[in-house]
Amino acid sequence: MKIRAPKDFWSGVMFCGFAAVAIFAARGYSLGSAGRMGPGYFPLLLAGLLASLGGALIARSVVLSGEPLSRFHVLPLALIAAGVCLFGVSIEPSGLAVSLAVLTLMAALSGGRFRLGETLALAAALIVFSVGVFVYALGLPLNIWPSL
Amino acid sequence: MDVISNLGLGFAVALTLQNTAYCFIGVLLGTVIGVLPGIGPVTTVAMLLPISFTLQPEAALIMLAGIYYGAQYGGSTTAILVNIPGEASSVVTTIDGHQMARQGRAGPALGIAALGSFFAGCVATLLIALAAPPLASIALQFGPAEYFSLMVCGLIAAVVLARGSLLKAVAMVVLGLLLGLVGTDVNSGARRFNFGMTGLADGIEFVAISMAIYGIAEVVYNLEKQQAAGVVAGAVGRVWPSLADIKQCAGSILRGTALGAILGVLPGGGALLASFAAYTLEKKVASAPRQFGNGDIRGVAAPESANNAGAQTSFIPMLTLGIPGNPTMAMMIGALMIHGIAPGPRVMTDRPGLFWGLIASMWLGNLMLVVLNLPMVGVWVRLLRVPYRLLYPAIIAFCCIGAYTINNKPFDAFVMAFFAVFGYVALKLDCEPAPLILGFVLGPMMEENLRRALLISRGDPMVFLQEPISLAFLLVAAGLLVVIAAPAIRVGREESLKE
Repeated sequence: MKIRAPKDFWSGVMFCGFAAVAIFAARGYSLGSAGRMGPGYFPLLLAGLLASLGGALIARSVVLSGEPLSRFHVLPLALIAAGVCLFGVSIEPSGLAVSLAVLTLMAALSGGRFRLGETLALAAALIVFSVGVFVYALGLPLNIWPSL
Repeated sequence: MDVISNLGLGFAVALTLQNTAYCFIGVLLGTVIGVLPGIGPVTTVAMLLPISFTLQPEAALIMLAGIYYGAQYGGSTTAILVNIPGEASSVVTTIDGHQMARQGRAGPALGIAALGSFFAGCVATLLIALAAPPLASIALQFGPAEYFSLMVCGLIAAVVLARGSLLKAVAMVVLGLLLGLVGTDVNSGARRFNFGMTGLADGIEFVAISMAIYGIAEVVYNLEKQQAAGVVAGAVGRVWPSLADIKQCAGSILRGTALGAILGVLPGGGALLASFAAYTLEKKVASAPRQFGNGDIRGVAAPESANNAGAQTSFIPMLTLGIPGNPTMAMMIGALMIHGIAPGPRVMTDRPGLFWGLIASMWLGNLMLVVLNLPMVGVWVRLLRVPYRLLYPAIIAFCCIGAYTINNKPFDAFVMAFFAVFGYVALKLDCEPAPLILGFVLGPMMEENLRRALLISRGDPMVFLQEPISLAFLLVAAGLLVVIAAPAIRVGREESLKE
């Protein structure tokens, strides 16, 4: 069998994957009955529906042809996602200034051309702006510097 | 007249110094960020959502609404001047708007867009004031079965009117509903889908998921598209359109407003459908239709009026029924819930100050848009020259700060990273994220109403077909699905929504 519509096929796989995870995670939830629904009733209903929709997409992808997949740009995505996670890790121990500097660096690295001077200037501007707006103007409880 | 006393109350709330200031800040911020190329209204609202949480609910909603139509208008400016639509709803504006700019008529194009939007905004505000109370009083009589069917109908309609594959859109809705169920089940107290992570005990943070998809995933997606170097048309020239221009456009503005106001109420409609439909209609009814595409001012006036009218009337289902028609309205509902206000028909009776204040502020905000935009076009032109490589790290940074500060929970950054990856993959697979966000917001409400409806009927699912109103909603939903699945109409839909 040949996959004629890769985008449909992989969407179907993705939806089935989510459905499988949901069904697996919900295996311990009590179902109850329609008149007295347990916590597992609606999620399993949805997961079943999602799995059948995903299945329909996969089935359709071998019958009808569709667009090919375009290239996934994994590196920028990975860099930015890692930068966001690093922000989460560092915001409390290191404070806003350090976390923002790291995040800006990671984000700038994911773009096409990397210019160190420009990135540093941007990071500095972002730190000044964020401290001014979020910490002073909005009064959000954020550490600016590493807490000792 | 009730409407007058209600609007009076609204203006009393909106015109307090504080709320006027927040309205102004919202409109200004929305315009400034919306003008930046590559940032549309949804991203703008998502990014600025956290700022509003420190405010009073009235001020927060007024500011968010201001951000929304500010960004909408800012997007049109970009569309006209550099031919880059900030989002799909200003795509049609680029057709004639950018042509006008190239002919040295950028000023009148921007001016007529502002005037048309202002007129549309006034009409839409009045319409909301007239239509909301009766709708809300009908909705107050809905039982759980009616509500459940209404949500099914709303979600299906949103999917049908959205672009792309129907099957994928429905699947995205269902996935969104599932994601909305993550966290503690209110009825049984059972923890669901937390995968052993305490961070998920309260569910997935709405702000984190919406910023992940509309902020970060969007950035990554934009990064790989070769940025078409925006050529800002030379001089903007005189902004005020001439009397002849206004005369020529009066009909277009009226038609655009009417069409936009109607389409905005529909789920999934909003600004996008409104602008496309208005442009198509204008081409059909206007005299000398050949000029469309070559810088006809009517081709700017009609869609711009329509998208503003649509943007505004899409507040009607959100405010009266608690049903979001588009992702921005989902964010408004998210903002309401963060302030502890349950969205739905009770908002109007329980918090009349909030409800009418928001409506009055829309009119005020539209006035500010005109006042702000006509003299400040020069500033926007300079903003347009900011390169994307300086913008996107800032977007990511603000999303991170926003996600963290909602609950001061570093975990939300990880949630955001996860959904950013998911959002990027979904975009690459042509799965529109809007249905997911709508489903996410409605998930818990839908489960609750389904549970209560079936509890009352003792488990008999026929209750959804026996209640006449519920049956009507389901029939509409089924009808929409049948219509859209019919191939002939499908082709037509794709053509009319083609960019």
